[in-house]
Amino acid sequence: MIFKPDSIKPIYVQIAEWLEAEILSGQLAEDERVYSQYQLAEMFTINPATAAKGLNLLADEGMVYKKRGLGMFVSTQAKEYILTKRKQQVLGQMVKDLVAEAQRLGVQEKELLQMMKQAREEIYEGGDGER
Amino acid sequence: MSEIEGLHLTKAYGELHAIQDLSFSIEANTITGLIGRNGAGKTTLLKMIAGHLRPTRGELKVFDQRPFDNLVIAGNTIFVNDSMTFPESFTLQNILKEVATFYPNWNQSIAQGLFDYFQLNPHQCHSNLSKGSKSTFQAVIGIASRCPLTLMDEPTTGMDSAVRKDFYRALLKDYIEYPRTVILSSHLLGELEDILEDILLLDQGTKKLQMSTLDMKQYALGFRGNAQAIEALLRGHLRGDTPEEGILRREEFAKGSLYVVVKAENLAVGYERIRRQDVEVMPIALDDLCNYLTAKTKGGIDDVFKRG
Repeated sequence: MIFKPDSIKPIYVQIAEWLEAEILSGQLAEDERVYSQYQLAEMFTINPATAAKGLNLLADEGMVYKKRGLGMFVSTQAKEYILTKRKQQVLGQMVKDLVAEAQRLGVQEKELLQMMKQAREEIYEGGDGER
Repeated sequence: MSEIEGLHLTKAYGELHAIQDLSFSIEANTITGLIGRNGAGKTTLLKMIAGHLRPTRGELKVFDQRPFDNLVIAGNTIFVNDSMTFPESFTLQNILKEVATFYPNWNQSIAQGLFDYFQLNPHQCHSNLSKGSKSTFQAVIGIASRCPLTLMDEPTTGMDSAVRKDFYRALLKDYIEYPRTVILSSHLLGELEDILEDILLLDQGTKKLQMSTLDMKQYALGFRGNAQAIEALLRGHLRGDTPEEGILRREEFAKGSLYVVVKAENLAVGYERIRRQDVEVMPIALDDLCNYLTAKTKGGIDDVFKRG
């Protein structure tokens, strides 16, 4: 897998976010063992020290826990925590950016809401409806 | 523990000081990128570490010993460079077989696996190889020898982009399986940086900086946008005796527009606050950062073309 090399986010942050996404999607289940720094290093062709820093980000926030000699495991509350964090931080920032760009372009609130509604309809069209 | 330590190291070739008063240390079992412009002293430093050259002044310790003319160091080191010599009449197959007897940690299955993967011709002579194939063959030896100290001086010269990528990945995988101290010199930092733990940047024979690639990614930030807005920002937010000392690069790229690169430590506010003032904030690629840090002028090549 290849990361966005021009991203302002350091690779270890991108690693942490990738792991978060794996937990969020259920690919990594509760109490399941997380990839080791060496596995991550191989998967993404990065130095193991970089991978370790990504893992530590998750550990610092309590999303994974250490079992001595066995590695890192997904915490019980990890999925819930990530969901809340992403809603507040990632989605929140995206909405702010959206509003700022709308303002630059002179798009009024009503028009913006209409655009968002339309985008939702396009995305869910033919799918399994609203989730 | 540091595996390599240099203290006030100097190497002079007559009048020319290729390495001058260089102090540095390299930790065991890390991958370090040795970066610098042409003539910065990379090859001279590697040759001293390998024990091929004697320092003119200063102290150099490898595994706690002086490397020059030292059998212990020679037995634990491989130095991959373009002046590696092999017997002219030997085929690649012969060389591979002979070279294996020199290195106690030699891994034959890795050597043969890489040899076949890169489609090297076992019956060809080393002297007849193309530049890229020569580099590839030597890189195979460098990886498979699994030397505690693995030095590679521009190992990717002449390799095509696919081979280079495979080489980086092969080196990393084998390093994970069998950790060792690796120093690579290269001009292709952009391709290499992800597998490096540390970077040692040389400039005219001295150390410009040495830090982890992770820290270096946050060493500087670029701002692009309206020249007046950026000038105001620089006046307002740069610490230091003069704003200039925090500026690594300054380019006027369009009328009334400015691109500046600033040291993060000189910045008095977080970049999130600056982003709101309609100035674009960008990360600086390590490759560019190294170029800025070792450039003679802050305007780069464009300064040459400035008239009047």
